[in-house]
Amino acid sequence: MARLLLLLWSLGPMLWQLYSSLRPSEALSGVDAGGWTLEHYRQLLQGDPPFLTYLINSVVVGGSSTALTLALAVPCAYALSRLGRRQARSLTALVAAAAAFPAVLLFLALLELARDWHLANQLMALSLPYAGLCLPLAILLLQAAFADIPMELEEAALIEGMGLWQRLRWILLPLMAPAIASSALLVFLFSWNEYPIALTWLSRTELLTLAPAMARIAGSSVYTIPYGAFAAATVLGSAPLILLMLLFQRQIISGLTQGAIKG
Amino acid sequence: MSGSISDDDGFKGLELRQLSRRVDNHTLVDQLSLTVAAGEILAVLGPSGCGKSSTLRLIAGLDPVSSGDIRLGGRSITALPPAERQVAMVFQSYALFPHLSVERNLSLGLELRGVDKAEIKRELDQVLTLMQLEGLRQRKPAELSGGQRQRVALARALIRRPALFLLDEPMSNLDAQLRDNLRAELRTLLRSTGVPVVYVTHDQHEAMGLADRIAVLREGRLQQLGSAETLYRDPANRFVARFLGSPSINLIERGATQLGLRPELLELADAGSAVPAGWEALEGQLSHSEWLGDRVITHVQCPGQATLKVLSREAPASETLQVRWRKSQALHFDARSGERLPGSSDPHTV
Repeated sequence: MARLLLLLWSLGPMLWQLYSSLRPSEALSGVDAGGWTLEHYRQLLQGDPPFLTYLINSVVVGGSSTALTLALAVPCAYALSRLGRRQARSLTALVAAAAAFPAVLLFLALLELARDWHLANQLMALSLPYAGLCLPLAILLLQAAFADIPMELEEAALIEGMGLWQRLRWILLPLMAPAIASSALLVFLFSWNEYPIALTWLSRTELLTLAPAMARIAGSSVYTIPYGAFAAATVLGSAPLILLMLLFQRQIISGLTQGAIKG
Repeated sequence: MSGSISDDDGFKGLELRQLSRRVDNHTLVDQLSLTVAAGEILAVLGPSGCGKSSTLRLIAGLDPVSSGDIRLGGRSITALPPAERQVAMVFQSYALFPHLSVERNLSLGLELRGVDKAEIKRELDQVLTLMQLEGLRQRKPAELSGGQRQRVALARALIRRPALFLLDEPMSNLDAQLRDNLRAELRTLLRSTGVPVVYVTHDQHEAMGLADRIAVLREGRLQQLGSAETLYRDPANRFVARFLGSPSINLIERGATQLGLRPELLELADAGSAVPAGWEALEGQLSHSEWLGDRVITHVQCPGQATLKVLSREAPASETLQVRWRKSQALHFDARSGERLPGSSDPHTV
């Protein structure tokens, strides 16, 4: 019973969105009108540009942000986890401070940067601030995961004659898969939902990512709020995320390191 | 430190010369010198923190040497990275790669070094058969028992055909029964490699049962190096005397000196008995006795002494006892420093 309530609590808003997206607009504003409709979805998918464009944009930005973040965070985390305790501690404190820095304070500076370096209206360029903002947290997460891998495993590989890259490729990264998957998901989620930077860096309609694109969905007149269209956009926008979660679920949960040490 | 070809001294085994490792102000290994011949098993024995594992890590190249030289097969390997030392190491935790099957655990190193596929297969079949692991090829380490994991760890070391075999407490994760059964098997296996073997342990039974010679370490310094028999009968100091033997050696206070007497060299008699010529005796109360089946350990409380342990065949008949020993069989130690004092002859020559 408690489980059912919890399920209802967490799934309720999503189900409500799904329901709203399939009801005609009149029904949502209280007028008694029955029936179901795909009208909101049709509107979105046939818009100019079609909603699919925004989805693809978000996937591109999310993918490149994730790739860039991991490419930088994995070596950093490895180095931090293998440094002497004293050095590692002070550097980790710095990274933690960066993670705690209020990102809002950076918007104006970022805007200046975008202007000076001509990064505005370049989709992939968004991955620079996104990776920058996600990097501290990703480093901390991965560092903890590296620290969980027993040193003896890497030493065994060292004695086996494996070089640094071989150890990373064959021993460490496979064992890190769950941690890497969860960090990747966090970065992707962040970039998927990020609004203020995307809003200020992108102005051309066909380059918009989901968040600013959804904000631009307008009703038939200034006074009508397009609840149905919003709901449909939310459903379409979260579908890929849910899919991603389901795909990586096993990776995140599986405890690969079990049995490395006696146990 | 130079590793040029010309410094080959012809010794085919492992040689440590004045090996030291210091971290901050702490000396983990202190001026350690010893040799291990090809085909010889040397046990490095000592309590935890005595520097035995540190020594092994220095030989493997996992930690940097502060001073001294490590020589293998007649040349210095001190400056070589672990990969080039041709050593194999079995870790206490076994350090099997948890995400790889037994087969891949063994073959990955060879593969990455570019060994021919057909040869890897041949070696794999041979080692897996030798270690009785054929049926477990596809298992992951988590699906193996402790004994099986140990065999995989040994197999992974064997398949490398190393020039030196290092083992760090490889039995400590096994239960006592299995350990006893494996000792002889492991000894035969290690001998068959024909390379020097360094075996680190804190278990005296393991060291005595497995090794040709034993090096006893304390606080990073070598206390004594010799056969189990030498260490037991002719210990260099009190530390070695107390570390080997169970029940442990009795120490009888005698002013500035201590007499060391193994429990089997003490004899029990009724209190008040006449002491034979050439013997010495103490009288005391029976504390308790432990029956071991074939032997009895009798604990006797004598005034001014720690409880004496006497190993005998028969349980004592009375409560007040005489404990006596042949004078010539007592070892003499300096009570303060614990150093062996001259004048104590070989305790087993009567």
